[in-house]
Amino acid sequence: MPDNSGYYHAAYIIAVAIYVLYALSIRRRAAKLRPSRPA
Amino acid sequence: MKVSRLSIVAILAGLAALVRVVFFTPFEAIQGPAQKIFYVHVSAAWCAFLAFGLVGLLSALYLWMRDEKLDRLAESAAEVGTVFTTIVLITGPLWAKPVWGTYWTWDARLTLTLFLWFIFVAYIILRGAVDDRALRSRYSAVLGILGALLVPFIHLSVYMFRTLHPKPIVAKPERPSLPNEMLVTLAVCVVAALIILGALLRARYNYANLRDAEIDSGGAHA
Repeated sequence: MPDNSGYYHAAYIIAVAIYVLYALSIRRRAAKLRPSRPA
Repeated sequence: MKVSRLSIVAILAGLAALVRVVFFTPFEAIQGPAQKIFYVHVSAAWCAFLAFGLVGLLSALYLWMRDEKLDRLAESAAEVGTVFTTIVLITGPLWAKPVWGTYWTWDARLTLTLFLWFIFVAYIILRGAVDDRALRSRYSAVLGILGALLVPFIHLSVYMFRTLHPKPIVAKPERPSLPNEMLVTLAVCVVAALIILGALLRARYNYANLRDAEIDSGGAHA
């Protein structure tokens, strides 16, 4: 079996990072509109 | 800051899918660990296609009914779909390099997927560039419908053109050609990705509602 686990780990780390950063970006934009109201 | 119940379910579903992929799914004998990229790649691709299908449907309904809620939901689906496509376009090359020997090849499915991504990036830019709300909604609805029309074409592209990309092994009329263990993992990942899609879509739609309410009440434009 080839050892290519670096690609596998990189793919999952990047995918999770994109999901999390995007969710945070929505929250940040909503918070900028009205800091007292949640998104 | 309050976190919605759907967001918590999405986080838990994502973690459960990760655990299933890492600890309870065997490595494929020929491709090795890189084959596990399949689960995040395919689930993100299906969610992206679903989101863009929604954009097409909601945009057509907007042009018919002129309801701003439909436009805001289409706008949200387009942005979330673009995020999912970004994941597809990053995880795909990371899987292709060890298996095909190259990160990228200009074959039909890859090129069309990149083209789809550009269309929806243009959609997002267009929405930021037009100030008149009715005009912006109309222009973006037309672009959204045109973009969504590309989705079935991308799915069928592997049958229509000679391509390095494999033919569908699950989304086809016949029985999926995947061992049960891997099929279950794919199902878990697809369900998790759908819940994440729902949570992101709801959060983005709530933001769009808040933003437009702010503009209507004469507040600052964000």
